[in-house]
Amino acid sequence: MQPELAFALPGVSLPISAMSRALLVAAAGSLALVVAFPPPKPERTVLLIWGGAGIAAIAAIAAAPSLDLVILLTLGVAMLHAALAGRRTLAARLRAPALAVALLGLGLVFARLEGPTILAAFAAVGLVAGLAAALGVLPYIHEFDPEEVTAASPIVWMAFLGPILAVAVVTRARELIPEAGAAFGAMLIGLGLLNILWGSLASWLTEKGTSAWHYSFMADWGLVLCGFGVQVADGQAAALLVLYSISLSRLPLYLWSRQPLRERIQTDRPINLLAAAMLAGSAPFAGFAARVLLLRGATQLYWPLALVIAIGLLLWLPPSLRLGRSLGLPRGRQAIGAGIALSLSVAIGVYPQPILSLAGL
Amino acid sequence: MTVVAVFAAFAAWAGASVIVLADGRRGLAIGIALIAGGFATLAWTAGDWFGGAALLAGGAICAVQLLRVGPQDWGLMPAGSTARLIQATVGGILALWVAASVSTGHGAPLRFASVAVLGLMAARVLQGQKATAVLTAAGGLALALGGASAIGPIASGFAPYLLAGVIAAGATWLPSAESRAA
Repeated sequence: MQPELAFALPGVSLPISAMSRALLVAAAGSLALVVAFPPPKPERTVLLIWGGAGIAAIAAIAAAPSLDLVILLTLGVAMLHAALAGRRTLAARLRAPALAVALLGLGLVFARLEGPTILAAFAAVGLVAGLAAALGVLPYIHEFDPEEVTAASPIVWMAFLGPILAVAVVTRARELIPEAGAAFGAMLIGLGLLNILWGSLASWLTEKGTSAWHYSFMADWGLVLCGFGVQVADGQAAALLVLYSISLSRLPLYLWSRQPLRERIQTDRPINLLAAAMLAGSAPFAGFAARVLLLRGATQLYWPLALVIAIGLLLWLPPSLRLGRSLGLPRGRQAIGAGIALSLSVAIGVYPQPILSLAGL
Repeated sequence: MTVVAVFAAFAAWAGASVIVLADGRRGLAIGIALIAGGFATLAWTAGDWFGGAALLAGGAICAVQLLRVGPQDWGLMPAGSTARLIQATVGGILALWVAASVSTGHGAPLRFASVAVLGLMAARVLQGQKATAVLTAAGGLALALGGASAIGPIASGFAPYLLAGVIAAGATWLPSAESRAA
């Protein structure tokens, strides 16, 4: 995951790590899928403008040469995102991302201080807490309004901006505080397990369908955090595949499910079962490959951890069936979009090597 | 030069404390101006003239915008502010302990100012119900992050100062209308 020269124009050079480049491709693919097969309510132009702005923000964060700039860019993006039209107050929309920036900033300051090794541990706490606050996972769940337009909602942080920010923070944190690497990894795994448990149970038991989707993103992030925390190649590969699954499968399906959720439509057609299987990480979808890699990585690190994660994975099934039903019966362009999302997931699940190679893994 | 840096660091902490204690636009403007002045002076004492100028300009634009638009009131220490006062004091003491006692090396004033302002702005963001207060705190965060980029053996260059100045300048220009329909 060392930065490399991705673009070299005369006088312009942007170092982007291979992992970031892979996630940039995933975000662009997700946007293309949603714009080509838009959900009924938001207009395609609106999706394109907001999505294009999001891609620009992702590219800027990916190309930032230092963690200072990553954090400052995150603050700028958070302020612009909070200014979008939404149902929550601006203060509510900015609170969690701004807290994340403050925690990340404190973590960075502590990482750079000279002194006893406890400072590195404080830095690790700040960086992990800041990352959790930015993503909106436990214990910093963003205030969520089920009726809010997706572009202004916390889903943007979880499914669109979050992956690149997580990679930027995790990769740089390992370089900044190598002496606290074990503590950093352990905190990521702890938070990951907590989110797997809470996200999947809440997604299953919550009343509102849109909130169930919100919690399902949280559960997926639990897997990603565990993958990053495991710190072996298989763990990183698992995290990347789950992030691809979030960007290319879960996010488009969430957008297409908004209208059926408003109309309270639930169907039990084959497409719903396929979507549920994909969301649950069943074979042959991408989530299955990710889970196998994560279990293998966790076994290499400490086998009881793999056992705990395996038990946690069973919790995906009931909420995924519920979410699959909430997709309704996609028609027209959305049916094609859903088909493409499922096919992409199968392709990545059956042969993930091109994605892993793109990410330098 | 060290005495100037110490005064600048305490000015930055005082500015953050005012932002924690104030609800009115005048109070917030004074707070952000003190933070910008403090971090700009700290950058200048380290020889980073352009970086300091960027922070000062960003903070000044934010303060002027606060004073130019909206109802003008101080809103300093409204009823029930005891907790905020304790927060500002304890935050300063903790930052001083980290900067002067726990950590070592030169640049203690910058360490104190950075930890104090980041911590207090985080507290303000969590408390804030009004858009103006939260946006001003975000501007303060940006200035502290820009200033803190000079901590450590490897300087991050001019870019963090510039970006921090731009974010602070733009903070109060954002539309702060509340609860618009989706």
